[in-house]
Amino acid sequence: MRALLLVVSLNFLLAAVGQAALVWESTVANLHPTIADKTAVAHFKYKNTGDQPVRITSVHASCGCTTAALAKDVVEPNESGEITATFTIGDRSGMQAKTITVLSDDQPGQATLLHLNATIPQLLTINPVFVYWSANDVLEPKTVTVDVGPDFPVTKLNVTSTDKSISTEVQPGPDKKGFRIIVKPTEGGRPINGTLKIEPDFPKDAPKPFYVNLRVDSRATLPPK
Amino acid sequence: MRLSFARQLLLLLGLAFLPAIGQAIYYRNAASWHQPPVDSALVSLAQAKGWGANALWLDARPEEQYASGHVPGAMLLNEDRWNTLLPEVLAVWSPERKLVVYCSQVTCNASHAVAERLRQEAQLKNVYVLQGGWEEWKKANP
Amino acid sequence: MEESESMTGAEVRPAGRDWLLIVRRMLAFLVGAVFVYAGILKARDPVQFATEINNYRLIPWSIGVRMAFYLPWLEVLCGLALIFHRLFAGALALTTGLMVVFIAATVWARLQGIDLACGCFGSAGANLTPAWHLAIDTGLLAALLYLWLRGPGRRPRS
Repeated sequence: MRALLLVVSLNFLLAAVGQAALVWESTVANLHPTIADKTAVAHFKYKNTGDQPVRITSVHASCGCTTAALAKDVVEPNESGEITATFTIGDRSGMQAKTITVLSDDQPGQATLLHLNATIPQLLTINPVFVYWSANDVLEPKTVTVDVGPDFPVTKLNVTSTDKSISTEVQPGPDKKGFRIIVKPTEGGRPINGTLKIEPDFPKDAPKPFYVNLRVDSRATLPPK
Repeated sequence: MRLSFARQLLLLLGLAFLPAIGQAIYYRNAASWHQPPVDSALVSLAQAKGWGANALWLDARPEEQYASGHVPGAMLLNEDRWNTLLPEVLAVWSPERKLVVYCSQVTCNASHAVAERLRQEAQLKNVYVLQGGWEEWKKANP
Repeated sequence: MEESESMTGAEVRPAGRDWLLIVRRMLAFLVGAVFVYAGILKARDPVQFATEINNYRLIPWSIGVRMAFYLPWLEVLCGLALIFHRLFAGALALTTGLMVVFIAATVWARLQGIDLACGCFGSAGANLTPAWHLAIDTGLLAALLYLWLRGPGRRPRS
């Protein structure tokens, strides 16, 4: 009885800490795409260190923006392979963490998580991206803060407005870092739905414009003169 | 000297208090002590439906999933094409409306990410995430 | 060595029994290590652990959040006690009690249909399916019961 209990419990413990046949070079990929990149690609390499072929039964990404491609699903003993994970950046920014869950038949019931961490550089960080004057508001100027990402040499912003009645003025930000855009509607009495197009002077050959959305409620009133 | 069983228990139970209290002091402002932290951002399907026309439904999933079926009247707003989709959403938004963001199911993250961006970048109020997501909607509307 | 103290009458043991003693010591070490590991993982984020306790819907939040700060350290302490074979009986009793309560709570919650993310192993546990979690927990309980019934550190028979 005791021996049985001992064997059973040891079995569970050993199974829990048992070694898997499929060994991964690294399960974490830290990517640093540039501002020109549309995708960030990570290669997760594995090797079958066991003596039986291993079948990778499922590869599943945590979001639709990351696709994971597997060259072939059966890995022979001593064979190496890799899972290529492509993260489509889209309009994302900052730190993005996505996971890919891999199931293989050498570890039934236990999944391997591959982590793709991408730091998306932000050329400009604009806050807020939506400026709104509501029905009760007076048409006072509002400020949009534009921070420049570290190490990006942006010296000038070119701001155009789709609605000519909204005036804009670009000022240097606090401590000479970044910028401030002062936005002021000059006409009241009609609903305005417009955009500000902000063009930095970097990169020179392929500047990417940024946008701020504007709305003015028709009932907002002009400030007293 | 071996302590009696009762003393062993008391010693272990008592000693564990020391690091626990230390940690509690460290976290005294970060932990909510009386009520669970209110995830005021979540809204149930019943509640969201109750808002009727005041609700503005936003689908945070990839475009293909939106195309194959979405909550009637919902607009697509995902992170892949945030910059082009956001202006369209803002054009129909008004301060009284309540934004309900959903993605595929309970565990997906896209709705929370989109909701957070709406709160932080666009500084909108009344942004909610649908509990249960698209799955919950489909269960109620087969 | 404490074993010879607990077996007050049995100073001389047959040599063949020593391997069982070594195995029992190793088992205590392994189980203790698992508890230290699990305890540290939980102690890293007590607020997250409090949320997981709350998911079981068994105790009110105000009690659960305080337990979330206390239990991980109790686990670590008991785990260390098992590893270093000090306060052994007490540690064994407490860890067994914790496991029984935890397994019972898990089974109850599953029966209620609550979808749990098991808090026991923190983020490392996210890799395990629920069936494996229960298997490991039952295995731990079996090991603990074995040590309790047969292992060193029992009260001296008087």
